[in-house]
Amino acid sequence: MTMNDMKNEAETAKLFSMALYSVMYPVFNQLEQVNLSAAQTLRAAFIKAEKENPGLTQSIVIKILEKKRLRINYNESLLRMAGDGVEEFMIDRQEPEFQELNERARTLKHILSTIPDEISDRVSFLQTIKDIASAIKELLDTVNSVFKKYQYQNRRVLEQQKKEFVKYSKSFSDTLKTFFKDGKVINVFDSANHLIHQTNMILQAFKTVV
Amino acid sequence: MEDDVKKVKKPGIVSPFKRVFLKGEKGRDKKAQEKATERRALHTFSLSQPDHRIDPDILLNDYIEKEVKYLGQLTSVPGYLNPSSRTEVLQLIDNARKSHQLAGQLTSEQDAVVSLSAYNIKLVWRDGEDIILRVPIHDIAAVSYIRDDSLHLVVIKTAQESGGSPCPSSCPDLNKSQTLSSLSESGAVLVEVCCLLVLAVDNKAAAEELCLLLSQVFQIVYTESTIDFLDRAIFDGATTPTRHLSLYSGKEWNRSVLFVKTFVKFQNFTCKHFADDSSSKVDVKEAFEEEGGTFPFQASVEAEGNSPTTSTPASPQTKTASEGELSTTAAELLQDYMTTLRTKLSSQEIQQFATLLHQYRNGSSIHEFCINLRQLYGDSRKFLLLGLRPFIPEKDSQHFENFLETIGVKDGRGIITDSFGRYRRTASSASDSTTNGNGAVGGSGDSAASDEGQEASEGDEWDRMITDISNDIEALGCSMDQEGVTP
Repeated sequence: MTMNDMKNEAETAKLFSMALYSVMYPVFNQLEQVNLSAAQTLRAAFIKAEKENPGLTQSIVIKILEKKRLRINYNESLLRMAGDGVEEFMIDRQEPEFQELNERARTLKHILSTIPDEISDRVSFLQTIKDIASAIKELLDTVNSVFKKYQYQNRRVLEQQKKEFVKYSKSFSDTLKTFFKDGKVINVFDSANHLIHQTNMILQAFKTVV
Repeated sequence: MEDDVKKVKKPGIVSPFKRVFLKGEKGRDKKAQEKATERRALHTFSLSQPDHRIDPDILLNDYIEKEVKYLGQLTSVPGYLNPSSRTEVLQLIDNARKSHQLAGQLTSEQDAVVSLSAYNIKLVWRDGEDIILRVPIHDIAAVSYIRDDSLHLVVIKTAQESGGSPCPSSCPDLNKSQTLSSLSESGAVLVEVCCLLVLAVDNKAAAEELCLLLSQVFQIVYTESTIDFLDRAIFDGATTPTRHLSLYSGKEWNRSVLFVKTFVKFQNFTCKHFADDSSSKVDVKEAFEEEGGTFPFQASVEAEGNSPTTSTPASPQTKTASEGELSTTAAELLQDYMTTLRTKLSSQEIQQFATLLHQYRNGSSIHEFCINLRQLYGDSRKFLLLGLRPFIPEKDSQHFENFLETIGVKDGRGIITDSFGRYRRTASSASDSTTNGNGAVGGSGDSAASDEGQEASEGDEWDRMITDISNDIEALGCSMDQEGVTP
């Protein structure tokens, strides 16, 4: 296995948890209306199992799709679903900066989730990209203003998470450049999913560290 | 039989009138034929059907020519003209032809060549190659194809050249003797105007081909600009003020970081695509990539950053993230900056630049700074001025921006005006107190709880960074002299 392969594997592993929180969490939420206890038990079980075996949830979901013979693109579906808010990542603090962080993250994820609908039309896709650019900038501006205003012991952790986000933003931009040459939409979906995941990780970092 | 005899050409007296007339006609035909054979072949490529797709690289790095007939250009056309309305456009063209603003009959005299690339469309006469006009892509608003009986018209709606005045709505044709003030005094409602470039081609296929080629140009340009916008948004957001400073100083640091990155951006931009155009086509990938390897000045910057002599922030907890981090970032950016200078300026010019920067920091006016730099860089390198943006304090930024515009150097040609508009520099109340390095606000440099003291220390920090960079530039000039390196 080459270094590149290992790197790709590591990056793929980061995305595994999206299957849990983007696909399964909404299912558990709905199940709670039917059987609260069962839903909570299932949720806890999945969380634990995923933690011990990253990728398990994704495998289960894909197997279910196969079993049901549903011909859908997993990455595309994940992207569409990822625009929905995940309550677990929302920051509880009421200060305006943190609420703004929640809002900006939500906006970015929502716009990214519209990519499958817009990508086939060049003009509207370009507009979507502009909106994504603005949303990324606004999210980073809010992160910067939180850094400026608040003093943290664990600032390095937050900085690191921000760096990761920037890295995946750049990767998203590179993917778009390649897409405009080769037309392969699947790579754009994949990259957008990564960016959504990093957005959630920023929220998680601020939620747990601060 | 008699008919056959009649048909035989008999030698005899030919009417002088006929002789002259026929000779003239034959001469014209001969001339036209000679002209046709003398004309150079067009620079063209085969296009894939049915949508006339062309390799984008050709539009980016080359060009394609098509033969057209140039009927003329209508100016001061109301901007609200609907280019997809056949009636409106034809009405304008008919009126123009009646008043001889556009050619009536189509002859070989209107033969022209349109040269198309991702940067502009250029129109030259087919014979003689004299240039008729050039329209940058960002000035093109719309392209229309109108078939009027046997006439196949391609009409290009473009911006009116600067210097043209807005036109009063009541009078489409601008009266050149009227001034803007007289127009406003008369109470006329001013409307934006545009131009219509009217071309004719041989047939529908040629018209569609031209329209589709232009459409592909737009796609390329707007796609590139959009990605560029995305890259810039990421870059802008990525630069973090790593010290707990007031917004004022944070912006100053951001500007300096941005300066260096922008510098490298435009280096790559120029090398890749243009000689003298500052359209917003930039590849920032290289600017983002960290440059490894050692650099002679890196050590000195790091040492400076780690020294305990920097100002103490007001709050003891604001032990900043990292003078280490700051220094590492500064070192990287400085490295980029130095690399660019080495490739763009000679050693003498680098020293001159350092002197000018030093003078500006020590009190010379922004106007003088701009003029001197413009002289130093010349026409071919005036784009380097863009990279100075982050170094320009807020109070001088407006003058600087105006200066850039007057010399025709401005990134983002307004293709995505709305989006770029969001990120234009806006006056920030927090930045109003920016100095040009000529001393900080407030007097004492003590680490004090007072605001003045904090601002002074922040201003000192900024000054220190600029001094470091200026000294390093001067040293670079000296080292280049010693090495005998020529750009």
